[in-house]
Amino acid sequence: MAAAANFPLLIILILFLSSFMMPVLKRVKAVKWLSLSSILLCVVLSVLTLAYVQQNGAFLYKVGHFEAPWGNELKIGYLEAIMSIMFTSIAALITWASFFSADYEIKEKNIMLYYTLCGMLLASLLGILYSNDIFNCFVFIELSSIAACGIVVVKDKKENIKAGVKYLILSSLGSGLVLMGIAFLYSITGNLNIGFIHQELVKVKDLYHNTLIISLGLFTVGLGVKSAMFPVHIWLPDAHTYAPSSSSALLSSLVLKAYILLYIKIIYRVFGIEIVKTLPILEIVLVMGAVGMIFGSILALLQKDLKRMIAYSSVAQIGYIFFGIGLGNILGLMAAIFHIISHALTKSALFLIAGNIIERIHSKEISRLKGIGIEMPITLGVFVVCALSMVGIPLFAGFNSKWNFALAIIDSNRILFIAVLVASSLLNALYYLPIIINAYFGEENTKDRVYMSKEKSLGALLPILILAFAIIYLGISSNGIIDLIAKSVSNL
Amino acid sequence: MKDALLREIGKVVIPFIQIFGIYIILNGHLSPGGGFSGGTILGVSLIMHKLIEEPYKSRIKISERAVMQFTCVSLILYGLLKGYSFITGGGEFELLDIPLGIPGRILSGGMLLPLNVAVGIIVCFTIYTFYTLFDKGEI
Repeated sequence: MAAAANFPLLIILILFLSSFMMPVLKRVKAVKWLSLSSILLCVVLSVLTLAYVQQNGAFLYKVGHFEAPWGNELKIGYLEAIMSIMFTSIAALITWASFFSADYEIKEKNIMLYYTLCGMLLASLLGILYSNDIFNCFVFIELSSIAACGIVVVKDKKENIKAGVKYLILSSLGSGLVLMGIAFLYSITGNLNIGFIHQELVKVKDLYHNTLIISLGLFTVGLGVKSAMFPVHIWLPDAHTYAPSSSSALLSSLVLKAYILLYIKIIYRVFGIEIVKTLPILEIVLVMGAVGMIFGSILALLQKDLKRMIAYSSVAQIGYIFFGIGLGNILGLMAAIFHIISHALTKSALFLIAGNIIERIHSKEISRLKGIGIEMPITLGVFVVCALSMVGIPLFAGFNSKWNFALAIIDSNRILFIAVLVASSLLNALYYLPIIINAYFGEENTKDRVYMSKEKSLGALLPILILAFAIIYLGISSNGIIDLIAKSVSNL
Repeated sequence: MKDALLREIGKVVIPFIQIFGIYIILNGHLSPGGGFSGGTILGVSLIMHKLIEEPYKSRIKISERAVMQFTCVSLILYGLLKGYSFITGGGEFELLDIPLGIPGRILSGGMLLPLNVAVGIIVCFTIYTFYTLFDKGEI
């Protein structure tokens, strides 16, 4: 098992190499299977990495022949191991689902490019997650922005290119701000390795109080733009609405989360929570998160387009995560990490369902979804599971994350925010439940609908069914994962 | 550009440009230069060829597929070599390494030479692709 220490690096290498093999291959089918099999291999390696971490604890991995301050490092702890399992397995499910939807949504000559970009995207996200070198993280951020813009514009339609350019400009702005934040840190510490930066920061924190505020502020806004924190989320609805549904699922469930995880790493590893608590930034993050929870839901309520509604719902859920980080206590961080997992499962399923529905009824409008529950009962059944999880009904993953958020709020003595949490949940119910009610009930809605007439094949439904089971599993027994998250948080 | 003078001079100059580019790539580990600068020069020679030969329906055409294949194979080569180096370094494996050779010779410097060649090919075709993309919108 000693070889398992090499697996994180191997995962990144396998994904990059396999994604560059794809343009050389001639047949689209071979490309699809290569993509899926490489991601599945990475799932296995991630699970083995978690097993290794459970045996030996968190470890640093030297990349190449040089020791840390000169060479690069990866740091793999519980957080990275859990998240890499989540990232790779959700990516595998989305890839499997895209086998059935890509032909409908993407032109044939672009399909190869799409899978190449997906592989690159996943590899760079895992790079952000693993790397213990902050500049290396920046390189992976740039790579992931290019790949993410690529999977938005891959559909090659007018509105896609508009959304893609908007995303490209805003996410370049975000990575520019991150780079400036890194430059400030480098100028006062002289290091790029996260561990060494922290050692130096502890020594010089009193000398450079304002520099630290500027630096952390730049990180907050930069990574906030990239992960769609509330007031700077404006690229997200367009990009998610017009991208192919499998790309939207990848963007919403994985891409946003990698930047948030990097933000967690910056707060807890680079600065250290003791230093961050002397700065006013976390309070701002808390308020932005709370405002995002409410306004994201209100904006979602106003939408007429299914995918746009789900996209605004993402803004609200990202608000929850930033809210948890902003609370600044261990429970808040745990709730945020748990919500990252539960939201990734739920939102990827929702986007895949939206893709299935749009493919069958050829319309994105919510008003056309009436009676769809009779025609596509399994798809809508999974939609119900996801919607109830989003609202926070017990037995579903969303309830556990909201429960943890509530505990964290009580722990931090800011009881008023419970009202925000409840209000946001009620708003979630307001925009998800009417869809479900109109889809199943109402005499006019269900008249002349043929049972199962528009359902997709079982193979195409498999990913969303697995996601639904995962949501219910997380809802019923979340203790194992909460324990792992607690271990990961205590070793940050 | 339909210009007989430019074309005739280009015929003479392009081979020298290419040889100079290859020289810079192959001596990247010994002297200033390397994959990136050499690749740029090689790419420029391709662009110049396209500029002056296009109106005359040149026999040598670089297809999109060829560009993709050359770039991807070089990327894979680079990834394999560098990945091998990373894994053997990080995992402390005592596997066989490319011999370092005598300093000053072309065949020395371990992996630097093949890595430079891979980078050179990638940069060469990327520069060429950029030019054609901005010129025509496709390769």
